Amino acid sequence: MAFTSLTFIAFITAVVLLTSAMPSPRGRSGVLFVANLVFIGSYVTSVEQVAPLAAFLLLCFVLIEVVRRSRSSAMLVFGLAVAVCTFIVLKKFSFLGDALILPFPYLIVGLSYILFRVLHLMIDAQQGELDRPVAPLQFFNYTCNFLAFNAGPIQRYQDHDANSRQPLLLDEEKVYRAFARVVKGFVKVGVVSAIFNYLFENMSARLLDPAAQPALPVLGAMMVAAAVFYTVYLYANFAGYMDIVIGVGWLIGQDVPENFNRPFLARNFLDFWSRWHMTLSDWFKTYLFNPLLKTLATRITSPKSAPYLAVIAFFVTFLIMGVWHGTTTVFVVYGLLMGAGASINKLWQVAITQRVGKKRYKAIGEKPLAIGLARGMTLAYFALALSCLWLDMPQLSDLVQRLGAFGLLACYGGLSLAAGIAFLAWDAVTNLYQPMRRDVTSVSNGVITRNLGLALQILLVLTVASFFHKAPEFVYRAF
Amino acid sequence: MKLILKQTTLLIGAMVALYGVALALSLLLVPQAQIGQRLDAGLATQSLYMTEPKYVFLARGQLNSTSDKVVLVGASNMQAGFRQAQVQAQLPQVEVHNLSVGGSNITQVGQIVDLVREIQSPEARRHNTFVIGLWYGLFADDKTRWYTDDRHAGDTDIDIERYRYGFYRRTAHGPAPVLPPEHLGWGVTLIHPYLVLDRTARDLTRSLRSHLAAKPKVITDEQRNAAVLNEADKRKYLAFWRKSMGSAQTLSDAPFLVLEHTVERILADGGRVVLVDMPIPVWHAQGAVLQADYAHRVHPLLDRLQTRPGVTVVPAFDSTDDDFSDEVHPKPRVTNLWAQRLASAVAAGPVPPAAQSASMN
Repeated sequence: MAFTSLTFIAFITAVVLLTSAMPSPRGRSGVLFVANLVFIGSYVTSVEQVAPLAAFLLLCFVLIEVVRRSRSSAMLVFGLAVAVCTFIVLKKFSFLGDALILPFPYLIVGLSYILFRVLHLMIDAQQGELDRPVAPLQFFNYTCNFLAFNAGPIQRYQDHDANSRQPLLLDEEKVYRAFARVVKGFVKVGVVSAIFNYLFENMSARLLDPAAQPALPVLGAMMVAAAVFYTVYLYANFAGYMDIVIGVGWLIGQDVPENFNRPFLARNFLDFWSRWHMTLSDWFKTYLFNPLLKTLATRITSPKSAPYLAVIAFFVTFLIMGVWHGTTTVFVVYGLLMGAGASINKLWQVAITQRVGKKRYKAIGEKPLAIGLARGMTLAYFALALSCLWLDMPQLSDLVQRLGAFGLLACYGGLSLAAGIAFLAWDAVTNLYQPMRRDVTSVSNGVITRNLGLALQILLVLTVASFFHKAPEFVYRAF
Repeated sequence: MKLILKQTTLLIGAMVALYGVALALSLLLVPQAQIGQRLDAGLATQSLYMTEPKYVFLARGQLNSTSDKVVLVGASNMQAGFRQAQVQAQLPQVEVHNLSVGGSNITQVGQIVDLVREIQSPEARRHNTFVIGLWYGLFADDKTRWYTDDRHAGDTDIDIERYRYGFYRRTAHGPAPVLPPEHLGWGVTLIHPYLVLDRTARDLTRSLRSHLAAKPKVITDEQRNAAVLNEADKRKYLAFWRKSMGSAQTLSDAPFLVLEHTVERILADGGRVVLVDMPIPVWHAQGAVLQADYAHRVHPLLDRLQTRPGVTVVPAFDSTDDDFSDEVHPKPRVTNLWAQRLASAVAAGPVPPAAQSASMN
């Protein structure tokens, strides 16, 4: 079920109305269960196609309960290994070859996020964080929640459980805010991401046209443009999806966690990842970075090496997080770039702090020019590294060869500078607009005015949808 | 639930109010598309509809009349070869409409024929003469032609227009009408603000878009008349068509069946069909892998079809390579002659069975 389809809008309308007709925790759980079944069912045409997912869920459910009862570390390791290996087989990672591939088509959408949820449950079960057994219905509704099935966010089970036990309380303001959030999401997906997807598809087609042999500066400019278009497309697409599911969540009594916090304000790579796909970053921080750092710290006890342990832990965490995005070689390159970005960022922080001191480093970082440049460099690195998500390995090698080291550096430098200037200009404009914004907000608070505002946004979405005959795919579904 | 229904009602009310204002303003500021008495998809870029498929889909409403009509359908060589005004001048006693759409294959041609038929009364259909321009490129397989990344798999350009404003909905069995065809006029009026916005947005962003996508240059009639192809151009065109046809060595049966069924439907309505075997340059015919297979398949089919009452077959006109500005399109200096030849064939064609029985009654 595509998030931009009329079918999905009809589906969420039905779920919202049914939930408000049965607002008790029990009623809501029942509606959510049926909604999840219908949502997953929309991706398949036979029971066989959903059987591997069902088997995976059953296996994980049993493993979690065994780990919870035993609280044994060995059992946890066994459970994690079985879950991850089953996931790798079901996801058909390319290094497996054809040997372990199931000989029929089946549903793999949502598997990655289900894995994150079950690993979290298993680890928390072993650590005694689950005070009672996870009921089968709760387990299904948590792992296969239609709001987070495709691409997260990765909510903690405890939060989901607490949420589902509370009664549904709505008031006029909350309902309006939920509608406004959903509409905002559709604007991001249907307008911003559709426009940038159009720009990206045209630019990347020209960039990758084997017949075209543009001069190096033109090739570099096209590469930078395609990378920026894709980044904005990806952000608007994913953040829009989040707005939709968060808004719908409010209407059915679920507090779906936020996944973005204005990522383009980030002043460095590590800051960026605390603002982008936040629930994934948090998951990796909790279940990989922290334990890894702890392990390293207990093994390498020299005080001199202490600051560099985080560099290693960041590299490993971001490498794995990058590789998770896909099953082919190009995603290993992406993982390496993510790992390099994080570890170089940490190394720089360690080195500069040692050289100029914490106070001075902080003071330098607060200068507007430094902020602009830092934000530009962060965006440039991320946008260029993201190319691994839209290029395959031969295309990436070819482009790197054609651009050469100088070309790549020029792309990075040029984009950093251009983005830095654009950010500074944007900040200046928004600062000017700030006083006016208060007046606009007070006018737009009337019931009629604010609904006209929403209606205008919906008409904008319909207008852009009529320009582009194919609505953009929900891009994170593929990961 | 009350709160949600109240908010939904407020939002729908606001949308209706806003859209009503937009509709009134757009109709006031930009009058509805003036497309003249005769349809010519070649003039689409000058209209509010902008593209040939959208023009054909939205403008066809006026074909529901009982006057005799000659409707030209095919690909871009039908558009360039048989200019509406020139054919109309040769056939003043009938209405000539050119609904040819560049890049069409026979599936899309069949769809255009059906779009015309679906808005016509049974009586109006009896007055149709469809002229279908045939050449090997028209028999491109649907898998090759319409299964591309820029669209939902299998959608033709006409399908895209069907879905664009929600006049049709997508079903497992293909497009199904949401708006009854007889209300097409209302639908076109209702979407007027979108047509105006689309046109305005495209006009405003034309120069920007020209940097993004490699669009074919607009070539004047003078330039077409003066065109001389060198060997490299010919190789490029041959390679283009080889790729466009999916690098196939032979054509498949399906497109020829689609042609036959399209002809059957027109005849069943009591209409006439003129099948024109479109000429292409000799170098193209000799260099194209599929031309021989096309000739091998199409000639027996045409021989068989021409025995049917209401069907006329026009063999490929004599032409020289210098009559073409590229690999398929005739130079403007020869199109008047082509129009005369077509007009003679249409005028000399048999009276359709339906018209015969109507006149006997």
